[in-house]
Amino acid sequence: MRKKWEWSLLTIGCIVVLTVGSMGVAHAQSYPNKPIRLVVPFIAGGAADLLAREVGQKLAESWGQPVVIENKPGAGGVIGAEIVAKAAPDGYTLVLGTVVTHAIDVSMVSKLPYDPIKDFSPITLVGSIANVLVVNPSVPANSVKELIALAKSKPGQLNFASSGSGLSQHLAGELFKTMAGVDIVHIPYKGSIPAITAVVNGESSLILNVLPTTIPQIKAGKVRPLAVTSAKRSAILPDLPTVSEAGLPGFDVVSWFGILAPAGTPKEIVAKLNKEIVKILQMPDVRDRLFKQGAEPLSCTPEQFDAHIKQEIVKWGEVVKKSGAKME
Amino acid sequence: MDLLHNLIFGFGVAFSPVNLLYCLIGVIVGTLIGVLPGIGPLATIAMLLPATFYLSPVSALIMLAGIFYGAQYGGSTTSILVNIPGESSSVVTCLDGYAMARQGRAGPALAIAALGSFFAGCVATVIIALFAPPLAKIALEFRSPDYFSLMVLGLVSAAVLARGSLLKAFAMIILGLLLGLVGTDVNSGASRYTFGISELFDGISFVAIAMGMFGLSEIIFNLEAKGKKEIFTSHIHGLMPTKADVKASWKAVIRGTLLGSALGILPGSGSIIPPFASYTLEKKLAADPSRFGQGAIEGVAGPESANNAGAQTSFIPLLTLGIPSNAVMAMMMGAMMIHGIAPGPEVISKQPDLFWGVVASMWIGNLMLVVLNLPLIGIWVRLLTVPYRFLFPAILIFCCIGAYSLNSSALDVGFIAIFGLLGYVFRKLDCEPAPLILGFILGPMMEENLRRTMVLSRGDPTIFFTRPISCGLLLAAAFLLMLIVFPTLRHKREEVKE
Repeated sequence: MRKKWEWSLLTIGCIVVLTVGSMGVAHAQSYPNKPIRLVVPFIAGGAADLLAREVGQKLAESWGQPVVIENKPGAGGVIGAEIVAKAAPDGYTLVLGTVVTHAIDVSMVSKLPYDPIKDFSPITLVGSIANVLVVNPSVPANSVKELIALAKSKPGQLNFASSGSGLSQHLAGELFKTMAGVDIVHIPYKGSIPAITAVVNGESSLILNVLPTTIPQIKAGKVRPLAVTSAKRSAILPDLPTVSEAGLPGFDVVSWFGILAPAGTPKEIVAKLNKEIVKILQMPDVRDRLFKQGAEPLSCTPEQFDAHIKQEIVKWGEVVKKSGAKME
Repeated sequence: MDLLHNLIFGFGVAFSPVNLLYCLIGVIVGTLIGVLPGIGPLATIAMLLPATFYLSPVSALIMLAGIFYGAQYGGSTTSILVNIPGESSSVVTCLDGYAMARQGRAGPALAIAALGSFFAGCVATVIIALFAPPLAKIALEFRSPDYFSLMVLGLVSAAVLARGSLLKAFAMIILGLLLGLVGTDVNSGASRYTFGISELFDGISFVAIAMGMFGLSEIIFNLEAKGKKEIFTSHIHGLMPTKADVKASWKAVIRGTLLGSALGILPGSGSIIPPFASYTLEKKLAADPSRFGQGAIEGVAGPESANNAGAQTSFIPLLTLGIPSNAVMAMMMGAMMIHGIAPGPEVISKQPDLFWGVVASMWIGNLMLVVLNLPLIGIWVRLLTVPYRFLFPAILIFCCIGAYSLNSSALDVGFIAIFGLLGYVFRKLDCEPAPLILGFILGPMMEENLRRTMVLSRGDPTIFFTRPISCGLLLAAAFLLMLIVFPTLRHKREEVKE
């Protein structure tokens, strides 16, 4: 009787082990077999959110599994990024990381609750939004060189607006200050729309604002565009020189967005995600809609994304140190 | 006449079957979203935006606009029925609307809210049609010093809101100010009173405070008093407003509409200021101010008209200047850009079907909303007859779901509990929550604009008086302060004399 009991236990044990083991193997092969969470660390309706929804919707269509967009705004993106850093690396939780969450915050925020390199597996870049340097029409400068000369002749008198302390517009302005050697005063606003409004009505003289909210004002003639901040000319405003061409060689500021998974996500899942998302970013209707919003679609391999993040961390670390800006 | 021609053109666009359908969908969704506490038009529009990609730009904007002002209609429903503001703009409606519901007059309150909103919507549509470009130019004149002075005026008038002791009202305003400080400071990036908790970096959630102090504290209060009196009197006094109600409220509706239209244009002033301003005005102008807070119908009619007028005129800066006045407008701008339309002064001339179609659809949407909401009043009122022991858990669950749905944050739900308790304590001490809410919202805006003005003027405070708008607003605030304080002083002097 005792022998039978032992045999039954052994059989049950084998069945359990085989099932669990095969589930593990089948898991990677059948990914995805349940809904995917894409965490967006910014509010609904912002540039990051719209990018995520675009990608998420197409992903859901091609894989037949829902992609749920979860907005977890707060602390400049730190809250959302932290959640995914600590999530299970099974490929069902992803984050839309940005230059702020994965390159700037590590230098700006003391006691960041995650490490942008160690806690994440990059999948791919999805897009970038350039900033454009515009001035109020009453400012007597028609080019970057003239602006720098004007600022040098009036130290401490010109104001530059930004969408908030520690965000890319602020640091872009600080980089401009350092590279051009001018003394302009930073005026932070709550978001990019009050900031560009301030330049339109003259409260501030200039701003390095994100493209989407600036295009309407440029088209209406309410602000004068001087240059784009990316290293290459923007496909959306091809006639504008880059800041680098126009007087500050080496100036390169873009807000990039990418999708990342928690560290330890299986390589097959990362590869599968990468392949599908890159395919989505080549679709003409997706590209068209992104362009209309002022974003340029990008794509790359996970390794390239990883290298990019590392480079950006170093670059922004320098800017933050030179500007002395710090967020608690 | 050019205007008539344009409006007829607009109605032609808006009356097409497709656009009528999308208008209907928009206002129905908007009303539902407004009724549900917590989730608001912003998140809804973000979720529905991809669905609009395949629509024509006019239809897309008509639907999204319908969601936005439909939410203003729906928000007042929960404020009146259960003292929970469905939207931030409905906080003021809680004050008298809920009191009316307690007296069995929820029907008239809901009806006046709907009718007042409809009137305001019609007038606002005409204002947009006639005055959009010049009004937008005025709105652009507002700079940081002017916003500061506007906030000061707002805070002083918050004291008018309270019924009881002036000292307690000021104390609550200041407490609200202090609570508003929690979070990251705009001007310096420093985080204040966050205790290292990431969720507090952007401040305490307004929805959590409002639901806690209004809704939850009310529930606790009612449960304590249970058995001693009926929560809602079972004698319903009819569903429609009486002649006396209409007579009392029509002036409030007109004043609320004008005030809301004026304040709604200012970018960044938020949807909460028009209703508060209207309530303050009505209370100051009333023959018997002590009725306010006890179920004065002007306290519902005025603010509801103001918030609907404000919601519609907030489209003006976007449609004429390409500057969105709030986050919802920013989403609309995104929607317009996706469809290849650059918002700005050229929209009126280059895309007349868009501009006039949307303007005309606002009127149609308002009509649909009144037709939708009035019959529903009967159902809502019957909801109140459900025994309280079933009603309050349902309210609690909706509150928690609503608060959680905003940021998927359990901390927000915890805050409802904390502020509910706090609200209950304050009620026992005879301190009112409304001034605290106003202080909470206006305080940070006031501080942000004050410090920014100081940086802009390089430390020179006279800028507040050299700018005409700012000077005017500060004088109005001083005047209002005197109006509030002097009667109290005179009263005390009389007491001493005796």
